[in-house]
Amino acid sequence: MELRVITTLLQKEFRDSLRNRWFLLYTIAFGALSLGLSYFSLSGVGLYGFAGFGKTAASLINLVLLIVPLMALTIGAGSLAGEREHSTLSYLLAQPVNRTEVLLGKYLGLALALLASLGLGFGVSGIAIALRGGGTDAGSYVQIISLAYLLALTMLSLGFLISTLTSRTSVAAGIALFVWLGLVFFGDLGLMGTALVMKLEIGKLFTLALINPLQVFKMAAISGIHATLDVLGPAGVYAVRTYGDTLIVIFLAMMTIWIVLPLLASYAIFTTRTEV
Amino acid sequence: MGKLLSIESSTVDERPRTREGFLDVSGGWPSPVGNRTKLALLICLIVVVLLGPPAHAASPQGESLVVSPAGPYTTIAEALVDAQAGDRIEVHSGTYAGPLTIDKSVALIGVDEAVIDGGGDDSVVTVTAPDVRIEGFVIRNSGDSLDREDAGIVLQKSPRATIVNNRIENTLFGVYAKNAPETELRGNEIIGMDLPLPRRGDGIRFWESPNSLIAENQVRATRDCILWFSDGTTVRDNDIRDGRYGLHLMYDNDIVIAGNTLADNSVGAFLMYSRRVTLRENIFRSNRGPSGYGVGLKDMDRVIGEDNLFVSNRVGMYLDNSPWSIDVYDEFRHNAFAYNDIGASFQPAVKRNIFTENTFLENMQQVSVRGGGQLEGNDFTVEGQGNFWSDYTGYDANGDGLGDLAYQPRSLFESLLDRHSSLRLFLMSPAQQAIDMASKAFPIMRPEPKLTDSAPLMSPVLPAIAATTPPSPVPMLAVSSGVVLLVLLVFGLIRWQPALDKRKDTRFFSSELSDAQPRANVKQIGVGSVAVKNLVSVSEEDECMIEIQGLTKRFGDFTAVDDFDLTVRPGEAVALWGPNGAGKTTIIKCLLGLLNSEGTIIVNGHDLESAGKAVRRSLGYVPQELALYADLTARESVKFYARLKDVPLDRADRVLADVGLAEHASKRVAALSGGMKQRLALGLALLANPPLLILDEPTSNLDARARDDFLDLLVDLKQQGKTMLFTSHRLEEVETLADRVLALEQGRVRVECTPRELATELGLHVTLKVYLPDADVDHALATLEAQGFTAGRNGAGVRVRVTPTEKAAPIQALSRANITVENFEIENGVWN
Repeated sequence: MELRVITTLLQKEFRDSLRNRWFLLYTIAFGALSLGLSYFSLSGVGLYGFAGFGKTAASLINLVLLIVPLMALTIGAGSLAGEREHSTLSYLLAQPVNRTEVLLGKYLGLALALLASLGLGFGVSGIAIALRGGGTDAGSYVQIISLAYLLALTMLSLGFLISTLTSRTSVAAGIALFVWLGLVFFGDLGLMGTALVMKLEIGKLFTLALINPLQVFKMAAISGIHATLDVLGPAGVYAVRTYGDTLIVIFLAMMTIWIVLPLLASYAIFTTRTEV
Repeated sequence: MGKLLSIESSTVDERPRTREGFLDVSGGWPSPVGNRTKLALLICLIVVVLLGPPAHAASPQGESLVVSPAGPYTTIAEALVDAQAGDRIEVHSGTYAGPLTIDKSVALIGVDEAVIDGGGDDSVVTVTAPDVRIEGFVIRNSGDSLDREDAGIVLQKSPRATIVNNRIENTLFGVYAKNAPETELRGNEIIGMDLPLPRRGDGIRFWESPNSLIAENQVRATRDCILWFSDGTTVRDNDIRDGRYGLHLMYDNDIVIAGNTLADNSVGAFLMYSRRVTLRENIFRSNRGPSGYGVGLKDMDRVIGEDNLFVSNRVGMYLDNSPWSIDVYDEFRHNAFAYNDIGASFQPAVKRNIFTENTFLENMQQVSVRGGGQLEGNDFTVEGQGNFWSDYTGYDANGDGLGDLAYQPRSLFESLLDRHSSLRLFLMSPAQQAIDMASKAFPIMRPEPKLTDSAPLMSPVLPAIAATTPPSPVPMLAVSSGVVLLVLLVFGLIRWQPALDKRKDTRFFSSELSDAQPRANVKQIGVGSVAVKNLVSVSEEDECMIEIQGLTKRFGDFTAVDDFDLTVRPGEAVALWGPNGAGKTTIIKCLLGLLNSEGTIIVNGHDLESAGKAVRRSLGYVPQELALYADLTARESVKFYARLKDVPLDRADRVLADVGLAEHASKRVAALSGGMKQRLALGLALLANPPLLILDEPTSNLDARARDDFLDLLVDLKQQGKTMLFTSHRLEEVETLADRVLALEQGRVRVECTPRELATELGLHVTLKVYLPDADVDHALATLEAQGFTAGRNGAGVRVRVTPTEKAAPIQALSRANITVENFEIENGVWN
């Protein structure tokens, strides 16, 4: 592998993202909504200073759960599929590059673009939070940003996996949207229904929730803010009592698995299926 | 309404009234010995300083005994033996052994870190006499038996004890008052043993000790602070943390709890089976155990809660059967419930509670009814004043500070939570909003409102104790600015061009054959039987630029290329010729590594399987249809591929000039014509000056003029020594460029020959359309057939089938027969 090739592809992917209207739209939407949430959720409580950050953080967590997966999944899914559809991928692969370099360069470029997008949104919102008097917990804010970025990487990996399996952007985008709906809504709603109908034990409910990277992000962010998960009721208390300090390790491990496994699968498919 | 209770009527003076002369001017609880004793003590102190500590010192109300490691008493027990009721025992710095039993009404005063160490056995100090004062000691190391209830200080049937300003540490229980009425416990610091919560003892336990004062104490890491059967007691200004129940009341009446901070306990305060309890200006913060109440009320009558702050608890306030008596009301006013998981939680049958002018601020769930249902019989609006609800979405049109629409919470998700607490796991997830949105869209799913506040306040009314110094914005500003700077740094790095870009190129189109030299360690394979020696233009005849052996490519059951062999020598131009579907492009894609295949491919000495990248570095590729990034300009495209090929970027403009695109360098690729695109593709292929060019139908999309121009370029390159492998179905192209042709059919080589032999070898023919005067057509047909041509009528002329090498023969035959040829056309050659 040559670093030069990876950085060249990374730079191109980053610049392409900035030219991508959907990506810009997501970035603007995320920035504007996070700024608005931060501004209004702190309205009037700055003088009292107590725990004002909690509500803002909860709003931001919700916003991240909605927008970040959609953004990362769709741009990831469109990456290779788009190149394949426009036949630029075969010409690119006819150059002195190997497929690992192409995959890594594209992934890192998009990862960097996501970092810039989230960084702008969180940065501007953080300044608003500070100026509105909610700046009690900068450490937790950094944790939320970091976890949101990890979530973005998990979704980007999933998007890449979709992209390696499809050759048309419309199909890739459709699958990405379906996966997003599944992770954001149907997964949780299904688990809720299962919990009620099957009368799931709390431990099993928590374990099943761990499968969804969005839930993992949410729980990790909450445990970062509150230093506990009891806000999530019996399942949260169970998690804290059962796993204690290793809970955050479990969360990070789950997110890492969600980043690495789809990416490895993408790699395996992309490098062994030579048809482009 | 008449339901508001008088605050004054229930306010209990924190000072018990059962004894006269109990208060001093400072408002605290005076010592039993009074001001005259203070004067005597002062005199004693002066004497002590001047003469040294005496064994006994006279005082108006009793003797003063001194205990210190230097004597006269060296142990507290010795002094206690000699002491009389009313004596003062002054204990100087040192560690003194416990356990001790104080059975006389004495004042035990610690001076300069006097420590009583229980040695880990039993209670450290046990008081069995009335009117005992213990002040200024460090009392530590009790036993740890829950059966014996080992404590730092036990007051056993000892009324009017005063325990002031002691530090009680590492004891199972802190202070345990049993039947000790009118006890004053003030200014002590009580720190429990480092044990798991269920193994700990209570920091403070008052049992049947009415009319006591518990004030200004700090309690840490104990189990509970318990007040049972102790009417008329005041609990004020204490700071109780890290325990189970910060405060636990049972069967106590006329209690005042004011100014306390109860934080980080499992439950802040749980008040049970008591009457006339006033809660005022307390802070209940971050009590988050399994139940996690700021305050829990169970069977409590006539509770007054005012100006308290409930913040960040799991449940701000929990009400269970409170009040329990008929016609009795509990009232809560001016309290703030902020940032709790649940602001206030009610058992469904709870009635007769009055909530007015409270602030419910950003609780994750403002009000919960356990098990679901509506709160009936509780008032949230009294005399036109409701409460502030931060999730209220109404408006105040007349500006009277009250919402014009009632506050009626009716979230379906909250309703589910009330019934199934396990679903709290899904709080803060978009599924929560989805459920609530669904219930709004389908009113049949919408639950009845939990409560109705008909005059909600538009602004919060926060108690004075909630006011704190605004947090410094600096950390958050620093973090956020740092994040923005990081983003800018990313942008900067992306724009930064590595040193590679600044390198100067001096080699383009140089006389060197190639930048990519064959690997020395690769075995050179001899020329195959298909090579045509006299067309090879390089001296090293035993070297191969391309060697393909046994190449087979299948797409499922279809075999696109079948056991294909090819050897191309340096400088040679080889054409793959054949109709669509013959396998030409498939071979090229296999050669580039774009398709996996069976067989061996070696290019410029590099094996494709193990060194695909080196293979691609050795060649330049011109595809049939150029697939470049349409939003890049021609120059940007060249620079991008130059970076990939590790070529200095200043070649970009030279390449564009060499292929005649200098004037179009700033045009987007999408705006270039077909010919320009093909020339751009050629430029890109030549960027790294490779020894080998692979061209796939390079002129198929070009018009005649562009095709000629492009062929000229290729001829120049061939003359410079480039090796070429190209596909084509144009005979003239093959004849112009190729040294050798492989004619393919269904993935196999049908014929291999020189271009001139191709037509003959394959039996190719073209159709000549000859336009003639109508009168001559029949004559012409006869003439041509007589000469052996296959001809037929074709409107205003004839069609004649000829081989590509004898296209002029029919014209000549007609001319010789004096037939005027008006015009003619040649149709493309076709595969026989």
